[in-house]
Amino acid sequence: MAEVKLEQVGKSFGATRALDSVTMTVPDGSFVVLLGPTGAGKTTTLRLIAGLDLPDAGRISIAAQDVAGLSPAQRDVAMVFQQYSLYPHLSVRQNLEFPLKSPILRTPPAEIARKVGEVAEILQITHKLDNKATALSGGEMQRVSIGRALVRNPAVYLMDEPLSSLDAKLRADLRVELKSIQANSGATLLYVTHDQIEAMTMATHVGVLDQGRLVQFGTPRDLYENPVSVYAASRLGQPRINILPAALFGGAPDRAAQIGLRPEQIRQGEGENSLVERVERLGDQTRLHLNLRDHPIVTVTNAHTDLRPGDIVKIRPQNPFYFDATGARIP
Amino acid sequence: MTFTPIDKAARATPPAMARRIRGLSDRTIAWIFVAPSIFLLLAVNIFPLIWTIRLSFTNFRVNRPNNDVEWVGLRNYQRILTDEGTWATMQATAHFLIWTIVLQVLIGFALAFLINKKFRGNDLWTTIIVFPMMLSPAVVGNFWTFLYQPQIGLFNYVVAFFTGADPASFSMIGDVMLAPWAIVIADTWMWTPFVMLICLAGLRSIPNSIYEAAECDRASKWRQFWTITIPMVLPFLMLAVLFRGIENFKMFDLVVQLTGGGPGNTTTLTSIDLKREAFEKWRTGYSSAYAVILFVTVFGLASIYVKALNKVKER
Repeated sequence: MAEVKLEQVGKSFGATRALDSVTMTVPDGSFVVLLGPTGAGKTTTLRLIAGLDLPDAGRISIAAQDVAGLSPAQRDVAMVFQQYSLYPHLSVRQNLEFPLKSPILRTPPAEIARKVGEVAEILQITHKLDNKATALSGGEMQRVSIGRALVRNPAVYLMDEPLSSLDAKLRADLRVELKSIQANSGATLLYVTHDQIEAMTMATHVGVLDQGRLVQFGTPRDLYENPVSVYAASRLGQPRINILPAALFGGAPDRAAQIGLRPEQIRQGEGENSLVERVERLGDQTRLHLNLRDHPIVTVTNAHTDLRPGDIVKIRPQNPFYFDATGARIP
Repeated sequence: MTFTPIDKAARATPPAMARRIRGLSDRTIAWIFVAPSIFLLLAVNIFPLIWTIRLSFTNFRVNRPNNDVEWVGLRNYQRILTDEGTWATMQATAHFLIWTIVLQVLIGFALAFLINKKFRGNDLWTTIIVFPMMLSPAVVGNFWTFLYQPQIGLFNYVVAFFTGADPASFSMIGDVMLAPWAIVIADTWMWTPFVMLICLAGLRSIPNSIYEAAECDRASKWRQFWTITIPMVLPFLMLAVLFRGIENFKMFDLVVQLTGGGPGNTTTLTSIDLKREAFEKWRTGYSSAYAVILFVTVFGLASIYVKALNKVKER
């Protein structure tokens, strides 16, 4: 359990700037999710904190201790790798035991067995414990990889897209499990994902990375309701926020170049005429694909709507976000 | 309608021929394809083997084709297995085999481990280290006789430099005690690079991320070496041992060039002994029995070994 602090951290691989002056505090006991597309610097951040790579610039501290020069073992971090990185010649049980059998820990065998059994149960891999690590499906390997981190009680958990290759149901189960493990143990957890549902449901804080820069850091709700840019606004929300030319509707501030409309920021029944192109019935909600003067707009409506393709719906913005030409939010 | 090249070929085939081809079943066609290989295998492998086994029960001598051939039953086998000279030869072979494998595996793995570290010019070093393997065994045998020369030999001078002994006071190839080691050293010099290459392939097959995971799991370098590196390279290592074992059981050229089997019979390996029996003493029946015994030995050992290898791979 510890606070992780990054100050002005930078890292380049050859000519590519992977991280650019990132400053971030991961509070003790928080669940921080890093969001961003491939190449944004999420994995690099984890590797720098783990000590697998060394930063070119800046300071990283774990539990108020500067970790420069410390090995991953000394930093006491547990990492879940995106490519699983299981020990292929060992069984699932041996893989899970591996971190506990470290001579530093001197865990008694009964304790190891109990811990491994417990974690295997949570991850639903008990029946696979005696399989070889290579005789597993991708999802099972990923769970073993998570298990290898969970058997320990490290200062920080670092997880790199740990649920990416699981099926939808298992992913939903494990989201709940991971969140409750973290909440109950008070562990500090740094989590990398593409999946905004994971970010919204598990995170206490979300960090948005864009080309190596941390563009916004805050609670999921804060991020959703107060995005600093088009980029940050596009990370969260399902369906995605609609980004349209500001001039499409009246009343935009002077500098505004774009207007951002989440479904709840679109008021139906008054304003401009738009054409219904497609109606997607998802059960609990219905999505409307609209066309307003050749600009596509996706919004949500009543689940039992009678609207059909070809109908006309009047819409108007309600407390929208305005962005300037560079994509920055105009308050 | 469009035609694929196969359709065109089918159309171009004369009707008479097409009828005959169409009459062939898939099985027949399969046999036609494998027949040449089967024929070659029978002609150059199976037939000589059966013929050798047949000859091993006779007193046939290939340099006296007109003599009557007498059926002697198991007498050849009995004579070989009770002959002290044969057992001395076997011992020399075992000594050569065991020590070359032990030394080559240890040194080869150590070299591979070092070369696998990232440093400047390691490709160049690999090429240099692999060089001895590319030479002809006859050439290697020949120049090691010079290296082992008591008066002018570099080897003796190097040993003398480290031990303080007089370089002319010992002869690696002339001494009964040293000659078995002389051939072990020369073979190790020549073939360690081969073991190194296979070990290097094994080491390179271990993804770096596994070491990173172990690093996060707080395994020391020592523990990583024994729980990750060694088990994952082991199948490769065992393969190298198999190759070197089979090769050195048949060792002939290098040793003949270096010591000629001497002094006395101290470096007469089984293959050298067999060649003398068969083509110097012309005891064809006797040497056939000898060859069968060696074949059974190698085949038996190799089968047991391959089984063990597969078990390691499955782990």
